[in-house]
Amino acid sequence: MPVTENIYEPVKAKLTNIIDESPLIKTLVLVPEKEFSFKTGEFIELTLNGIGEAPFTPSSSPLVKDKLEITVMKAGYVTGKIHQLNIGDVVGIRGPFGKGYPLEKFYGKEVLIVGGGCGFAPIRSLLYKLIAEKEKFKKVIFCYGSKTPKDCIYKTLFKELRNIEKFQVLRSVDMADEPWDETIGVVTVLLDQIKIDINNSLAIVCGPPIMMKFGTIRLLEMGYRETDIYLSMEKNMSCGLGKCGHCMLGDYLVCKDGPVFTYNEIKGLPDIWR
Amino acid sequence: MTQYYLISKENWDKILNELLGKYDVYAPVAAEDNQDYRFILQDDIHQIIYNTPKPATPLKIFFLPVKENVVKKSASENPRLIIGSPSCDLAGLDLLDKIYLEEPFVDKFYQQRRENTILVGTSCFSTLEHCHCSSYGIKPFPEKNHDISLSVLDGQVTLQINSDKGKNFFNEINHNNSFGEAEKQELEKIDTLRVSVTKELSKTNQGLPDYSKTGELIKDTKKDIWEKYAKTCVSCGACASICPTCTCFLLIDRPGFEKIRQLDGCQYPGFEQVAAGEDPLEERFVRFRNRYLCKYVWKPEKYESIACTGCGRCIEACIGNINKNELFRELLT
Repeated sequence: MPVTENIYEPVKAKLTNIIDESPLIKTLVLVPEKEFSFKTGEFIELTLNGIGEAPFTPSSSPLVKDKLEITVMKAGYVTGKIHQLNIGDVVGIRGPFGKGYPLEKFYGKEVLIVGGGCGFAPIRSLLYKLIAEKEKFKKVIFCYGSKTPKDCIYKTLFKELRNIEKFQVLRSVDMADEPWDETIGVVTVLLDQIKIDINNSLAIVCGPPIMMKFGTIRLLEMGYRETDIYLSMEKNMSCGLGKCGHCMLGDYLVCKDGPVFTYNEIKGLPDIWR
Repeated sequence: MTQYYLISKENWDKILNELLGKYDVYAPVAAEDNQDYRFILQDDIHQIIYNTPKPATPLKIFFLPVKENVVKKSASENPRLIIGSPSCDLAGLDLLDKIYLEEPFVDKFYQQRRENTILVGTSCFSTLEHCHCSSYGIKPFPEKNHDISLSVLDGQVTLQINSDKGKNFFNEINHNNSFGEAEKQELEKIDTLRVSVTKELSKTNQGLPDYSKTGELIKDTKKDIWEKYAKTCVSCGACASICPTCTCFLLIDRPGFEKIRQLDGCQYPGFEQVAAGEDPLEERFVRFRNRYLCKYVWKPEKYESIACTGCGRCIEACIGNINKNELFRELLT
């Protein structure tokens, strides 16, 4: 449910910390004026006063209620301005919007997560939730790819994840321009290295469109059912309310019906990978 | 609940005159080459035209202004009386209500205006060149989403009450008992005209596929056909602007965390473009196709409501002379 009565009005939030994750990616720690809770996978609209608004899925734990974090890659006008923000600045938040990950469907299963680049942001929030409820899942395998070692975000998190029972983490970089003792290649290469019971598994994919496309193709080849592949379709979600029409994907509005869809739900629609 | 009442045109005009202070009254008047809604002042009452087909402006504009500040609280609006809305525009409100009144994100601006407005629909006693409501199951007289329907014939005004709001309004204007009950004879005259207009529409739109058939045809339409019809499209967005059911919008940020909601359209380049520059609707023919898929396939599936009411305004407005009905006829062959 929205936290303001007027669906278009943002709640103000103070920027209390900025973390440089990679040359192009920063994480912002925000403390909203009002309590703001979300389910993992739901997204918010971040307003820069008088400048513009853009959608982000929080990268922080949904269990933390007094602050939230968003991780932003500098990609266009608004994200460029977000990168110029300073600690103490006030921004606006609307939401949360969309449907979160259907976690109850993951219970008792082997969860495979495939992430690329800034697609790690929503995945980090999901991982926090999976860690908190790890007894409910059989196993969690996280395959993460970035362009170079420098582009790998949340670097300190990997060590933590590798120490958690039931969690397996694999990493790859497209190009190792500095010492790198893990895999070199696109993220789908990691899928050849894992052992997973596909019949009792589901896959979550989040990353740039090209990675989503080839990730899905590889998962289908591996034998994943179309209904067991969950994709984050982050389109031009402008209002977040299912009204403005900018994120229409066939008869879905990504902001309202998604942003997470199974491949089965969207496979017949035109231009899904763009 | 359907009741019919009769009053002379002369007395109806007097009633309107009395209403002007209390309501913001809008009604169609003739312009140079079309007819359009006007904010009615005393001098305009005699110029109101009745039972003519669609005004140039679609009804949606009264509920979703082209541009408005949706954060800054606006002053409360006067109650409104809108006279002369044709059935195509009224039918279009089905979809608008579903989008803008959908829980949990009810648009209070839209809701307030819907509640604050008395809609007086009109039976069309004539048609315009591109009218084709009947092809999509809409009759050329109001059947839904109105409070009162009105017909003016032989110096007599017949009102048909269609909602509780309409009934309350009627009681308000009938305080002097100036209305009589409409006789069978008057109603028969109106019916005869309605039948005649319906027949005319069937004749002029012969061979046009119905709504669901149009959706089926569009789903299978190949790229070359879309490219052919999109060739003269200049992405001006006029088709979406004047469409009674196109309500996509853009939120524009203003200082003070204010937001301006401005009507937008998928025909404009960049409508779906994301931060990194990817644009699923980059090519013109894809944008052109998008509007048809949205209207005849996706919106009806999503909202169980039609998203084209056959008003034909998009054909009239198109600077590239694109006639969607020619496209549909070609698809049928």
